[in-house]
Amino acid sequence: MSAASRIVERFVDRERPVSLNYPMTAPTTLSAKGISKTFRGQQVLKGVDFEAASGELIVIVGRSGCGKSTLLRCLNGLEVFEAGAITFGDFSLLRIPGKPQGDYQEQARRLRSNFGMVFQSFNLFPHLDLLGNLVAAPMIVKGLSRKEAEAIAFPLLEKVGLAGHAKHYPIQMSGGQQQRAAIARALAMSPKVMLYDEPTSALDPWLVDEVFEVMRKLDKEGMTQIVVTHETRFTREVARKIVFMEEGKVVETGDSKQIFGDPKDPRTAQYMSRFMA
Amino acid sequence: MKLAILLPLILASQAFAASEARIAAAKAPAILRWGGDAAGGAPYIFQDPKDPSRTIGFEVDVAELLAAELGMKAQFVQNQWDSLIPGLKRGDYDAVINGLEITDDRKAEVEFSDPYYLTYEALTVPKKSYDISALADLKGKKAGTLKGALAERLLAGTGGVEVVGYDTQTMLYDDLARGRIDAVLMDHPAAVYYGIGSQLKNLPGQFGRIAYGVAIRKGDAKLLAKVNAAIAKLIKNGKLREVYERWGIWNPVMAATFVDDHPKDRASPDAYKAYLEARGLHLGWRAKLDVYEGYLPLLAKGAVTTVELSLISMAIAIALGLLLALMRLYGAWPVQALATVYVEFIRGSPLLIQLFFIFYGLPAVGIKLEPFAAAVLGLALNYGAYEAEVYRAGIQAIPHAQMEAAFALGMTRWQALRFIIIPQALRVVLPPTTNDFIALLKDSSLVSVITMVELTRVYGQLAAMSYDYMGLGILTALMYVLIGLPFVRLSRWAEARLTVSLRRTDA
Repeated sequence: MSAASRIVERFVDRERPVSLNYPMTAPTTLSAKGISKTFRGQQVLKGVDFEAASGELIVIVGRSGCGKSTLLRCLNGLEVFEAGAITFGDFSLLRIPGKPQGDYQEQARRLRSNFGMVFQSFNLFPHLDLLGNLVAAPMIVKGLSRKEAEAIAFPLLEKVGLAGHAKHYPIQMSGGQQQRAAIARALAMSPKVMLYDEPTSALDPWLVDEVFEVMRKLDKEGMTQIVVTHETRFTREVARKIVFMEEGKVVETGDSKQIFGDPKDPRTAQYMSRFMA
Repeated sequence: MKLAILLPLILASQAFAASEARIAAAKAPAILRWGGDAAGGAPYIFQDPKDPSRTIGFEVDVAELLAAELGMKAQFVQNQWDSLIPGLKRGDYDAVINGLEITDDRKAEVEFSDPYYLTYEALTVPKKSYDISALADLKGKKAGTLKGALAERLLAGTGGVEVVGYDTQTMLYDDLARGRIDAVLMDHPAAVYYGIGSQLKNLPGQFGRIAYGVAIRKGDAKLLAKVNAAIAKLIKNGKLREVYERWGIWNPVMAATFVDDHPKDRASPDAYKAYLEARGLHLGWRAKLDVYEGYLPLLAKGAVTTVELSLISMAIAIALGLLLALMRLYGAWPVQALATVYVEFIRGSPLLIQLFFIFYGLPAVGIKLEPFAAAVLGLALNYGAYEAEVYRAGIQAIPHAQMEAAFALGMTRWQALRFIIIPQALRVVLPPTTNDFIALLKDSSLVSVITMVELTRVYGQLAAMSYDYMGLGILTALMYVLIGLPFVRLSRWAEARLTVSLRRTDA
């Protein structure tokens, strides 16, 4: 076997065929236990527990600075947390203070190979056209050929309604188009869970719906999605589970009807009354 | 009877001579590599005005005579005059024959042969100057001479004289003619060749005594003995005098020292006459154009060296710069510190010193590089430090969110850098990198200090010979611009291609 094909072999998971069918055969639960994270002496996550079952759409709400975005970024290892464990399937990213950690970056990379992430400011690669954005990671990380990668990319562009924009550069597209492209880019890596960090905050109000439309579509297909957002309507209509956070802790978790209609904790009640106003 | 005894002797001696000649022919003659500076000017070592690719001068003739006497072949090695002794110690050549006065401080560094030429200092003044005839008359005036020459000390010892040091004889006498200085004190041969023309005159006074010796590495006693024997022989058989007379620089001091007061000239001053003719004060513009045409091949050769040097150096500098930038941005702290120290140290010290260090300093620890390799190394190491900062800034100009997006898609740091960050940074760093290349192209002229003969060096040699600093200067400057232009165009084209993704209209 040549050196090149050995490298490809290492990146391509032969067991799992590249496919767009959700949910995956074995439902996998994402769970986080006791996540603690400190930024410049200020503890922003104080031992957070969190769980997402396969196919759920979970919205995390809370005031700015409550730690919800940080939690999301910890879930796929973009932030280094000090203590806690994140488990997905049979893989764990474990941090015990005072113990040697091994190669965090490499472990985090293995963990996040299961996740797709969508950022507030899209973060498309400006030097690549839309198709280039979609095929980059499958080719670089999984070692797919351009042809194989494009075979994945085109149906995804179709799905997010950007089939005609394959040759456009990010700067030539509207914010809503860019965010839909970013979702397609994440999906091209066949993730089992999608994470959204305020995906519509940077958009003009009339562009918000086209992004949520794509997320609804994925929800119907059974994709597990975890969303940090301030959009009330989306939260109320689509969220199966709502997690309310305050000061680095999860205060209350419940279904949409219960959190909106009958919050148990007074802090949740106070926040939700503002949230709906 | 007599013949009967003599004949076998003659035959035997002839047979002996023949066999000796056969031995000499069997092994190619050894090479005597001797150092000098062809930009020094006439009559020492300079470019033949009629055929600028030839190096001529009375010291070229002396070197050839000496080599022939030693059964060797003379090979000239160009080096800057200031660096002739360091070059000798490095072993770039085995002897220096270039107006090196035998002085005590030089004797501490190298061995000197017996003098091969003796002379004195002579004063040159503007034709209409009447108030100077002796050194004492220079009080309160400006007097010029070559840097580091004996004349400089003589002037300094006079007191009250403002001494101006020059690098080349041509500039020195040019400035005298222009009135920038009041007098020139120089070795007599220089005065014979430069203190002439319609504006200058040489004064008859003789000041000081100067003896030029062949400099030889300390410890090379065998060569020293052979050179001394050869000089003695060449003095005795009049061959040296012949050379000096051809160049018009035989003088009474030598007649006394060499004990050669033969009244009749042994040779006519052909070389001197040829020089005067070629000085070309009478040339019209048409003839001058022809002269330039003759210079072009030499300049072109220098330009090729400049381009080769610059391209190779820049390629290495780019690779080194990228490595250093990545070390500073993503390395563990000792790696970062190492890269930072390198960048600050190299960027903060003069390229000239770095070149000297590599070429003349490193041999002390056993690393002896060829001039080209040393020049490339010096330029590449130096520009690598500059490139490092350009690339660091370029990479930092790309938002961190791009790196995070690449991470989120499962890329490693290296993959993210290679496919996402560096391609974007490329667009940012292209203009400053092109800038640096143009700067390097021009800085490559500095490597003439380590014996490289590139475009600027060729210009210096030709100008020293032809007096034409203006015409040749314009020609050479133009050549630099022409060399740089294609790279500037290439960079613009690449930049335009890379910015396609930044235009809002359809690509």
